[in-house]
Amino acid sequence: MTVLRDYAAAVTQPALVGGAPPYDEVVAPDGSLRPAWKGLAEIAVGLTDADLRRVQAEIGRFLTDDGVTYARPGRSQGRWRLDPVPLVLDASSWSPIEVGLAQRAELLNAVLVDLYGEQRLLRERIVPAPVVFGHSGYTRVVARPDAIDPRPLVLAATDLGRDADGQWRVLADRAQAPSGIGYAMENRRVISRVLPELYREAGLHRMEPYFWALRSALIQSAQGDLADPRVVVLSPGTHSETAYDQAFIASTLGFPLVEGSDLVVRDGWVYLRAPGRLEKVDVILRRVDAAWSDPLELRGDSQLGVAGLVEAVRRGRVRVVNGLGAGVLENPGLMPYLPAACEALLGEPLRLASAPTWWCGDPAGLDVVLDRLGEIGEGLIVRPIDGPAEVLLDLSVDEVRQRILAAPYRFVGQDRLTLSQTPVWSRGQTRPTPVTLRTFTLRYGSAYRPLVGGLANGWDDARSPTSMDVWVLKSDPTDPDQGLSGVLPMTAARSVPTTVPRVLEGMFWFGRYAERVEDLLRLVLAAHALADDFRARPRSTGGASLAVLMDAVHRLAGPSPYVDGDLDADFRSVLLDPRRIGGVDHGLDGLRDALRGVRDQLSSDTWRAFGTTDRAADALEANPHSHQVAESAGRMLTGILSLQGVTASMIRDAGWHAIGLGRALERALQVAHLLAATTTERRGIDVDREVLNAVLASAESAVTHRRRYRGYVRPTGVLELLLMDPANPRSVTFALAEARTHLAALPGSTGSSRPERLLEDLVAELGSVDVAELVTIGGVERPNLVRFLDHFLVAIGRLADAVAEVHFASGPAPRPFGGGAG
Amino acid sequence: MRYVVTHTTTYSYDDDVTDSLGVGHLVPRPTPAQEVLGSEVLVDPEPVDLAADTDCYGNTVTYFQVTRPHRRLTVEGRSEVEVGTPAYDGDALAAPWERARPLWHPEAPGAWRATDFALPSAGAEQTDEAWSYAAASLRPGRPVGEAVTDLMHRIHADFRYDATATTVTSTVEETFRHRAGVCQDFAHLTIACLRSHGLAVRYVSGYLATLPPPGKDRVVGADASHAWAAVWVPGVDEGEWLALDPTNDQWVGDRYVTVAWGRDYGDVPPVKGVIFTEAKKSTLTVSVDVAPVAPVGTTAP
Repeated sequence: MTVLRDYAAAVTQPALVGGAPPYDEVVAPDGSLRPAWKGLAEIAVGLTDADLRRVQAEIGRFLTDDGVTYARPGRSQGRWRLDPVPLVLDASSWSPIEVGLAQRAELLNAVLVDLYGEQRLLRERIVPAPVVFGHSGYTRVVARPDAIDPRPLVLAATDLGRDADGQWRVLADRAQAPSGIGYAMENRRVISRVLPELYREAGLHRMEPYFWALRSALIQSAQGDLADPRVVVLSPGTHSETAYDQAFIASTLGFPLVEGSDLVVRDGWVYLRAPGRLEKVDVILRRVDAAWSDPLELRGDSQLGVAGLVEAVRRGRVRVVNGLGAGVLENPGLMPYLPAACEALLGEPLRLASAPTWWCGDPAGLDVVLDRLGEIGEGLIVRPIDGPAEVLLDLSVDEVRQRILAAPYRFVGQDRLTLSQTPVWSRGQTRPTPVTLRTFTLRYGSAYRPLVGGLANGWDDARSPTSMDVWVLKSDPTDPDQGLSGVLPMTAARSVPTTVPRVLEGMFWFGRYAERVEDLLRLVLAAHALADDFRARPRSTGGASLAVLMDAVHRLAGPSPYVDGDLDADFRSVLLDPRRIGGVDHGLDGLRDALRGVRDQLSSDTWRAFGTTDRAADALEANPHSHQVAESAGRMLTGILSLQGVTASMIRDAGWHAIGLGRALERALQVAHLLAATTTERRGIDVDREVLNAVLASAESAVTHRRRYRGYVRPTGVLELLLMDPANPRSVTFALAEARTHLAALPGSTGSSRPERLLEDLVAELGSVDVAELVTIGGVERPNLVRFLDHFLVAIGRLADAVAEVHFASGPAPRPFGGGAG
Repeated sequence: MRYVVTHTTTYSYDDDVTDSLGVGHLVPRPTPAQEVLGSEVLVDPEPVDLAADTDCYGNTVTYFQVTRPHRRLTVEGRSEVEVGTPAYDGDALAAPWERARPLWHPEAPGAWRATDFALPSAGAEQTDEAWSYAAASLRPGRPVGEAVTDLMHRIHADFRYDATATTVTSTVEETFRHRAGVCQDFAHLTIACLRSHGLAVRYVSGYLATLPPPGKDRVVGADASHAWAAVWVPGVDEGEWLALDPTNDQWVGDRYVTVAWGRDYGDVPPVKGVIFTEAKKSTLTVSVDVAPVAPVGTTAP
């Protein structure tokens, strides 16, 4: 049996309990396939459990390789979940949705214009005033009788659900800063790769033209008639729930991803804080909620916003998308009044009905909701007009009643629809799962255009979502994708290098962490090789050498948490334990974090590195054998080295130089640490030789050394090669020369800036070193070498601090002040 | 009465401030009882940006930005106003207070607009204590003018004026706890009490001309900015706003200069802003002078 046949057989079983059965998106009540699926039947029906299992595994790999993450509120970034089976709709069932969404966006825009301007809806009591004034999204600082923004709504999202009668209804509107269109595009990218035959056969609307339209709409939303307006995507930062979505949009559209601290207001205009100059910003695609977007006039404690932004918006000098007041539309209290508002503002009936909703501020609505309070959790959802239903979750019916009666205008009741169901693959079988559809509508030219497609979510019993691609089939294969034939492809997309201090800092840390992890992995590999030979013979010279190498590992990755000296456990924790500061997992985490902040500047190939390291880590978790340590460390190294390929093909701009500088400084630091841990003490000829060989191996200089010194390993030779040799890319001298080039290329470098002076001092100091003197023995130590390396490490640290101070500082954070009243 | 008002706010810092953005409510607004004859706002050091705008409540807001590094910032509002004593419709004041609740009577003219001042706001939290305290004044069917005036008397009697008891961010709950506060606290207290029963109340920011003690000269700069409350009374047009000053236990008259109103202090602070600096310490000094001016054509006594 195939998956779809099994599914069809299962869902056409007569229902055991009463009530209308949910609408099924794939199978009609008579057991036949819905029209949209009929065209796909030949391929789709052939899919077996095994196929889906394979496809699901591939999806997981693609998503990991692309670094697609999503954070639940209050949690850290986790993997994005995508089901292999898309939600498929044919042209005839899509068309009423499309018309309805376009009308709704136009209506919501008109509502927004009215509520922040003329307020006819309130004056004529078409919308009750408390619905608006009592909603936290109502942003008074942008309300003006003479408001100048005629199109505050540029991109709207609407969540739809299909009821048991097969009618689509609106569940919620998202207008503050709608998320998800990046995820929708990513879903499409993945599904088209894992189910290529089905995808090709389907004849569905491709999404790319919509992104071109989005780009064009954002550019056109600049005020006035600018030849080349600057558009930025304002993100709350890498810890945002939908950071991936934001970075995806920024890099796909070719707009820089910025944070509040990257922007500054001067004389009522908004500027990007480029080093040494300010670049005017014309359009801000905002992913920061309005309340947080200006510490001057909105929340004073916000560090995510731009002080003065509201004033710039009011003067019409920057266009914020969506407008700062748009949050008031995310208000279920509006729903009962939208039909009347539509008649009043657009002069036409509302096409797309909302799920039946009652506002408790209206006495009749209050009666209905109070009568039905017993249905909470089943047929009725009660929620505040500006908060989630969850706030009432643990309350008894009486407590909910009291809450409502204390401030009825704060609450709505909404019918919980019997949502339509669609197959979702879970734990080895497809189950019928309730589905909602997030749609997107864009102001393009003079009209609102819905994305032909969307982001579907299947909701399991724990109300945890699994996303699905949404396929809307063309009625005719010659239909233009998205119904957009006149949109120019994005070939003209101007790639805007952003060298704001925060981005340079992210790049710098990209370089440092990548180098740190790489060097540590090499050391772990060298140490593990020794361990393989000598772990059973601690008293042998090899055993003593191993101990030295482990000291070096501990110097970088912190002491072993294992007192019994369990080597393998130690190696594993160096590679896997996130709490081991300086360890590989910790370094990878820092690397990932640095990269997320500059995601829009980097090739999407970047994330493959983590696909590789993640799989290597999973393999190590799964395999208890010692050889897996070397195996996984080796594969992690492969992953990390692939980042070199990413940087190799980057434009040679300030960001690239910041990466190079970070790498060079970190390498100098790592080599110095390695030498300090291994060469400053005399341990007998055999041990020293063994240790030095391992050092050379981990510094990738063994071959050169052998060629140059004919296998005769002495400290002098090793130090010559790793400290002084200007031709060895692994030497400190080489690293400092590299650092000098990169540093000089950073904006803000003058030839005599403090970091440059410190670097010149270091270079001079290193140049005057005589290796013969360094290796001089005093007791068991080499005191000159100890002194030199100690000093060198301090100096490198000071240099890195100076670089941060001169090149990455974006100035002090904003601080609110006020004054008192008598 | 005619007054020249000078309101100077000075911030001093122990290190350079490189960027300072601010908004101020320093320009008096015209009202039926108040004519604004002239006004200006001066910022020192010289601002790169200084602009006036009218906010959603009709107040004049001044926006400014100073980017020249500075350790002292002075914002001065100067204005000349002619103030009379507000008059209210007697029938409207005599109507039961229950009629003045916009959420209960959304059909009343102006109720929709008054709604914004009937809902809770962050600075005037409607605690249970505020509800109980106000209930003694808001007896069923009592004329609205009488009921809210009674509340004002009680607040004045029960609460002590004490500038050390509270701060600019004090809450209604704290004012109850200390049984003391300043004008801002008493205004918030009045607002919380009346809103918790459904009335619409504004927070009003302004000045009160102080009378020198008998036989003494007026001390220049010894005045302070002031705050009081105004209650929506439906009946005439979109309704009237009965302004009362619980700090001084009186209705607002011709010694009161109205600058701005909002839902609470947070909507209309005289000056607030954002600074960018490494400075650790800042000190604030405020001086207000409300100088009576003889109208043209009269001579000084």
